[in-house]
Amino acid sequence: MALAEVFKALGDPIRLEIVQRLSVGESFTIGDVSNDLGVTRQGARKHLQVLVDANMVKLEPKGRDVYVRFETDSLEDAKAFIAEVEKRWDSRLAALRQFVEDNP
Amino acid sequence: MIQDKIERQVTIRAPKERVYRAITDPKQIVSWFPDAIEGTLGAGDRPILDFGEYGKNQIYVVAADPYVYFAYRWVPGCVDGTTGFKGDVLAVPHTFVEFRLSDHPSGTAVTLTESGFSNLPEAVAKKKFEENSGGWEYMLDRLEKLFAQT
Repeated sequence: MALAEVFKALGDPIRLEIVQRLSVGESFTIGDVSNDLGVTRQGARKHLQVLVDANMVKLEPKGRDVYVRFETDSLEDAKAFIAEVEKRWDSRLAALRQFVEDNP
Repeated sequence: MIQDKIERQVTIRAPKERVYRAITDPKQIVSWFPDAIEGTLGAGDRPILDFGEYGKNQIYVVAADPYVYFAYRWVPGCVDGTTGFKGDVLAVPHTFVEFRLSDHPSGTAVTLTESGFSNLPEAVAKKKFEENSGGWEYMLDRLEKLFAQT
């Protein structure tokens, strides 16, 4: 579930932009993070909700504001998946090279 | 067009013809890829790649163009930890693997791509994806930048 949701969440330029903003590590309000995204405030809110559903961000009401916190760990599965696929092919291709060069 | 794809490259000190045979000759591919193979690697063929303890994996060869291109579809093992699959790969979620061979000053450049990860069982899940939600390649690029920051 987690991996699929993360890929879905990152498969959109607006959400990637949001995640990038948040990844700086500072604390943002919903307003801060929604500025200049090129979508309406409602649109931004929908995108944020996708990130919330993927457990990539948490919304934390504080006083009048709602703060958005990025869950860095949520990217671990995606990172691991990509790294695994690449690692497998790297070792296969290294084996191909070795075989060909040893058997010209 | 956004695609969900990984790309790797290796340079081999040998001509394209030699590299192509190593990829498409059943007697040679077992030296570097599966432990054994049942069947042949021509376009339209459905050979079974035997990965020993990781299981047998029946693939569908899409194209075999001497000495530049070889492509097949399969159910990759990295998703659920097993590589075993037998049957019609086209009837189930799968990925597309392509080998592109090109001349290089020191021999042959082999470019490997695998695409379609967003099709895989876990990724299709129960929810319908929004259009263009695959975004694998785009995402990779962005992720790299992201990870450089965090």
